[in-house]
Amino acid sequence: MRMPGSPAPSVRSDLEVVFRREYPAVVGVAARVLGSRDQAEDVAQDVFLSFGRTSVPASEARGWLCVAAAHTALNLLRSGRRRSAREDAVATYDAVVPDVADTVVRLEERTHVRAALARLPRKQAMALVLRHSGLSYAEVAAALDMSPGSVGTTVRRAESTLRKELTRHASSL
Amino acid sequence: MRHPSDGALRRLLDEPSGVAETDRQHAADCPRCRSSVDAMQADAALVAALMTEESTEVDVDGAWLVASTSSSATARSTISTPAAARRRALARPVAAALAFVVVLTGAGVAAANDWLPIFRTERVAPVSITAADLLALPDLSAYGDLLVTSRPNVRAVPDAAAAAAATGLDVPQVTDLPRGVRGEPVVQVGSKASVTFTFSTERAAKAAAAAGKPLPPPPLGLDGSSVRLDAGPGVAQVWSSSAGVPALIVGRAVAPTAYSSGVRFETMRDYLLSLPGLPERVADQLRAFAADDSTLPLPVPADRVTTRSARVRGVDAVVLTTRDRTMAGVVWVADAVVTVVAGSLDADEVLTVARELT
Repeated sequence: MRMPGSPAPSVRSDLEVVFRREYPAVVGVAARVLGSRDQAEDVAQDVFLSFGRTSVPASEARGWLCVAAAHTALNLLRSGRRRSAREDAVATYDAVVPDVADTVVRLEERTHVRAALARLPRKQAMALVLRHSGLSYAEVAAALDMSPGSVGTTVRRAESTLRKELTRHASSL
Repeated sequence: MRHPSDGALRRLLDEPSGVAETDRQHAADCPRCRSSVDAMQADAALVAALMTEESTEVDVDGAWLVASTSSSATARSTISTPAAARRRALARPVAAALAFVVVLTGAGVAAANDWLPIFRTERVAPVSITAADLLALPDLSAYGDLLVTSRPNVRAVPDAAAAAAATGLDVPQVTDLPRGVRGEPVVQVGSKASVTFTFSTERAAKAAAAAGKPLPPPPLGLDGSSVRLDAGPGVAQVWSSSAGVPALIVGRAVAPTAYSSGVRFETMRDYLLSLPGLPERVADQLRAFAADDSTLPLPVPADRVTTRSARVRGVDAVVLTTRDRTMAGVVWVADAVVTVVAGSLDADEVLTVARELT
């Protein structure tokens, strides 16, 4: 955060190179959490703005950015400052007009998978999102300060919980 | 015999090389571990499918323009700040200008290439597909350039009359709402969407090499040739239940049509079906549309949905029912227009609505 009276923060010189290289990946991470491209792009902009003020080596930028994007998006998801489930359902519907029959099944689940994601323990949610965004087990382990061996266990636990929540919801309809 | 941990079995799905050789061997031989891996794969595929957004291209140039013009702004750490609002306001015209250029160049390409119609939807047929099949499908974008030349721009309109004016379609009217469905629908329309795929032998060879599979030799003339897929405009009327889930959807759209810049439909289809990664079972079903340039394959998740055929308004229709019987839908094509009736209803109810549309 910029302190009052301090000079304007300087922005690192390699920001454009890193931005152009990593922006799609960072949007992808946030979109997995939020299910909304617009919100994901907002999160990505914020994350790059923060990155611009760090001295994280460019070689480690991707891991740093993905972790920051997942954290920021999960915070947003939990804060409830998202669109309502209703709007979300309509927005999901928009995306896939031709496969309406399939969509009826899916949009319901997409709404619930995000509610379930918001309830997961933070470490499980982070591991799940980072792994599904294409980070290797070693990268996830380094980002979350855990052993590579326990990444699989954590991801598996998260997937199992999400599937159970979806099944439970489907059977209670 | 000690079974590998769940964590090791899960990693087998993603990074087999990261799992100890003894555990890999065990998992291959042990029925119990194999069935655990299968269950894990199904869960992972489900979660992946639900978390993945529709993949549209990210506009990096536009985003960088936004970032570079706002990065001198004061620090902000939350989303709903005036700065974020300003950024969004800026982003819109940038995106609009870019879309304009893209559509113009897309139209230019289409005119220059003298597109031949190669596919026109006259009927639909279900293709059964599992979540695992979907994941195994080759990523087309690795084999060439996928360019969205026209986005559907889905938006709400006040009523059916406005939808008809916006799309030029006969908007279907529901005579009697099924039991449990009440109120007025939300009416949405989408413009014609258009996607162009340009095949690149060089990229395809790279993609195949990365997957460790040899690339089947592409037929003469395929390299650099394009296929354009058009769909829409369309209209949807959505009745929501109190839970926010659609209780009933009635949708209609101009059915997909494909055009080619030179290659014949059969050539493109046969070659795509021979690419490494396509599950044999799915390829066989698609091949069953042999020499058929008018049946649109409708991918159906076989583990969740059953299909049967029925007659609706004088044409063959596909009826889909979820295995848990919570939802059903019916799809048919008449005069190159596809119509869908679906909802949290049973098959008889959606068929009744479909047959009574006016």
